[in-house]
Amino acid sequence: MSTARRSLRDLKPSTVLATLAFAVVTAIVLLPIAIIVLTAFKPAAEVNAYPPSLLPDDWTLANLKTVTSELPFARLVGNSFVFAGGVTLFALVFDSLAAYALARLDFTGRKVLLVAIIATLMIPFQATLIPLYQLVADLGWVNTYTGLIAPRAADAFGIFFLRQFFLALPRDIDQAARIDGAGEFRIFRSVVLPNAVPALLTLGLFTFVNNWNDLLWPLVFTTDAEMGTITSGLTQLTGPSGIVPHGVMMAGSLIAILPLVIAFLFIQRRFIENIATTGLK
Amino acid sequence: MTTARPTRHRYRPPAPLGGRRRATESPLRRGATAFAFLAPALIILGAFTVWPMLSALRLSFTDASGFGEPEFVGLENYIGVFTDPDILNAVTNTALYTVLFTPLAVVSALGLALLLNNPRLPFRGFFRTALFVPFVVSFSVAAFAWSYLVDPQVGLLNYWLRGFGIQIGNVLEDPTLAMPMVVLVAVWKLFGFYFVIFLAGLQDIPPSIYEAARMDGAGAFSRLRNVTLPLLSNTMAFVLIFAMIAALQAFDQIYVMTGGGPYGSTQTLVMEIYESGFRKLDIGFASALSYVLLAATLVLSLVQFVFFGRKEKDLA
Amino acid sequence: MKRKTVLLGGAGGAALALLGSACSNGETGGPATLTFWHGYTEADGDVLQGIVDDFNASQSDITINTEVKTWASIDDTLLTALSAGEGPDIVAMPAERLPVYADKGAFAELTGFYADDSSNTANLIPGAVSMIEVEGTKYGVPTGFVPLAVYYNTALFEAGGVTDFPGTWDEWVAAAKQLTIDEDGDGTPEQYGVVLPDHATVANGLWPSLFYGNGGDIVKEEVDAVIDSPENAATLEYWRKAIVDDKISPTGIDGVGADELFGAGKAAMTIGGPWMASIAAENGIDCAIAAIPAGPAAQAASAIGVSMAVTVDADDNARAAAEKFFAFFLNDENAAAWSLGSGWPPLRTDVPAEAVNSNPVVASLTEIADLGRPLLPGVVNSVDVLAAVDELTQRAIAGEDIAGLLAEAQGTIQDALG
Repeated sequence: MSTARRSLRDLKPSTVLATLAFAVVTAIVLLPIAIIVLTAFKPAAEVNAYPPSLLPDDWTLANLKTVTSELPFARLVGNSFVFAGGVTLFALVFDSLAAYALARLDFTGRKVLLVAIIATLMIPFQATLIPLYQLVADLGWVNTYTGLIAPRAADAFGIFFLRQFFLALPRDIDQAARIDGAGEFRIFRSVVLPNAVPALLTLGLFTFVNNWNDLLWPLVFTTDAEMGTITSGLTQLTGPSGIVPHGVMMAGSLIAILPLVIAFLFIQRRFIENIATTGLK
Repeated sequence: MTTARPTRHRYRPPAPLGGRRRATESPLRRGATAFAFLAPALIILGAFTVWPMLSALRLSFTDASGFGEPEFVGLENYIGVFTDPDILNAVTNTALYTVLFTPLAVVSALGLALLLNNPRLPFRGFFRTALFVPFVVSFSVAAFAWSYLVDPQVGLLNYWLRGFGIQIGNVLEDPTLAMPMVVLVAVWKLFGFYFVIFLAGLQDIPPSIYEAARMDGAGAFSRLRNVTLPLLSNTMAFVLIFAMIAALQAFDQIYVMTGGGPYGSTQTLVMEIYESGFRKLDIGFASALSYVLLAATLVLSLVQFVFFGRKEKDLA
Repeated sequence: MKRKTVLLGGAGGAALALLGSACSNGETGGPATLTFWHGYTEADGDVLQGIVDDFNASQSDITINTEVKTWASIDDTLLTALSAGEGPDIVAMPAERLPVYADKGAFAELTGFYADDSSNTANLIPGAVSMIEVEGTKYGVPTGFVPLAVYYNTALFEAGGVTDFPGTWDEWVAAAKQLTIDEDGDGTPEQYGVVLPDHATVANGLWPSLFYGNGGDIVKEEVDAVIDSPENAATLEYWRKAIVDDKISPTGIDGVGADELFGAGKAAMTIGGPWMASIAAENGIDCAIAAIPAGPAAQAASAIGVSMAVTVDADDNARAAAEKFFAFFLNDENAAAWSLGSGWPPLRTDVPAEAVNSNPVVASLTEIADLGRPLLPGVVNSVDVLAAVDELTQRAIAGEDIAGLLAEAQGTIQDALG
């Protein structure tokens, strides 16, 4: 109530203008999303009709049906959850451990190690794909979840991201525990991690989204179609001559992004509002 | 690093603690503790990233194709990289892409984050959420949706703009417009990510500092220049480096939207790496090119580290 | 010849052919399980699966398991899989992609197989065979070879009053002009007579087809670039005028865009492959097939080819088993069945026309099968050659100086040929 009253009182022309400007920017930004959603429900004839229209005249579920009949989509979505979810869980644990050492422990070679870790991001994945695949094949992990997840179970971005956050945590939060004689691992687990929940949530979302959307690794790694993810599976919708039926592809895309949007809406309050506030209080 | 820091500015990153608090601990022991924390991540990165990187380095001196025993060819691949006119074209394109993408993505993300950090803006929660949504769309899907939007025959965007008397023609087949277009798609897809990181950085700045600045009579612009931006420099460095790496490795949407065309005008280095490796099966050359890109990225990142390091000593 | 005709259609044909190859390879015929990757995702895939199933049932030692992918994802995944010994034993791919893999050592030589009378390869279309050869060595077996053809919208032809399908370039352009409609007169036709993409054309074959028509070519004998010729310059001039000045086709469009435009009923003619018939049917368009009209020098069309090969991941035993499957695939009965089911003309010249009459698409395509020419046979670096052709045609249609472009393309292509 009070918020509403306050915003009414503060309703200066500049605020109204700013709000309108944001509404326009947001609408433009969301236009491609709207195209994906709406085209998914357009019959083939309307997809290529001129003049084009935003809304379907004739809503149809045909595209979604085609996707679900042409792709083992439940299996693919399930694989995506296992892959992106597995990577996220492992990466959060391993990245936060490493980040703790890099941010809050003093040891020789800390800076060099940090630069070396970041340098692993600077080679394009395409360059290491073949040696990586050979290694995973040597380990006997081809077409297994282990093989899909293990190479991503720690990543330089996550380590660097959490390190920045741990650095920003005030130095005195672990003092009490230290005086009690707690070891580093206990301080990490009971003091630092609880304060880092928003950062972990944010990184978790980034990691999940990036792996869910990754194309090249699951595509190349899973020679067995049953092991693919929804993102790599969408490539199967391309026709024999390279034609991608737009309506069907958009329906597939909708299935692919829906879980992410739902997951995001679910955690977004904690995620953006609180991302960095803990630890400062 | 270990000198005492003032604690009254709580927003300032502190020095690492372990060393100071346990000054009596031997360096060996401290190293062992740190290693225990680092081990899982280092094993994963070592096995699945560093080892393949070293393999690629070895292959860059061979004529490897993926089949049979590669033969050592010395620096031939590297000489090829520096003499091939296609590579020069890809370098130019990648540089152009980076120069367009990095500022555009970073400035738009920062600007929106600054504006949406204003608690008086109505619906700001909604705007924040909405602006992040493109990030959850994969590059291939984003590229596909945008291609459809700007399609010269049935594209909605083209049709609407025509209504305003603007003819943008066939953007993806236009050698001058194709590059800005693929950059635009990347900005659209990624700015939400940088935006969130900026928002986090902004919320790290305690309101008390703004209060103090306001009492000193600082206007909005002066507060931005003298308080917000300096305190954001850590975040800024972080975002800039990752945005630059993303730009230097541009591939996904280009592969889908233009395939590097028209006339190679959107052919980037990673497109070249992919084509040499996966189309011409010349792994040796692709690996050499990757290492040249790695070296360039490293140099550019270090320049940034040094630049921001002057302002924020704790960055590295 | 006669013997084969007699055997056509009988189950005995398969058994006999198999017996032949089993005898010649008797010493390596142990049990084997093979993986076969291919990109036949439509009805053709079902027919191929049927042939594989028949093969598996026809004997007890060899089992072939198929893995269906798109052609693009085969190209994306084959290299990594083979490099780690995780690849398929048999793989099918667009024919112009075979030489580079063969040259890099990914495929087994099939010289012995072709020399064997029981391999059913004696009467394969020579053009199709040339696409599996690199420097005179054979590395694969064709699974498809069809000339590009004109697929035209019969309703639009009727509405536009075009009764006879054109036989020459001039007639073709005249018909296309007649079928191009710009009702609102804004200079952008709502309906195009034909759609001629200027890059990434169907199977990269449109412009090679046009070059052949005027007596030109791109590469001779695997090693010599011959694109910079007066014939090709004239070809580009001729079609630039028709496309840009006469507006018979939209510009700046690629092969996929062309297929879509035709599917949307906005172009009366397109150059395509057999799948255009099903795209047309899906979009409710009545479509007929004709040969690409004759140019001043020749009537010819670049062919779309698909080839399959045995990979390095197959051991000797698997290789022998794969050869048995190839012979089975090419036997009298299956040669006809595959043609009918895939919608592509028969791969063997000795399959009588009556055997494939029941599929009207195949019947039409078989009639013009002689016009098909292999695209860049034996050229290892087809990637760079095709990119140079794309750049040439795209820039030429955009109005740049043709002589200069041809000279530049000549240099690039010669470099690519090494």
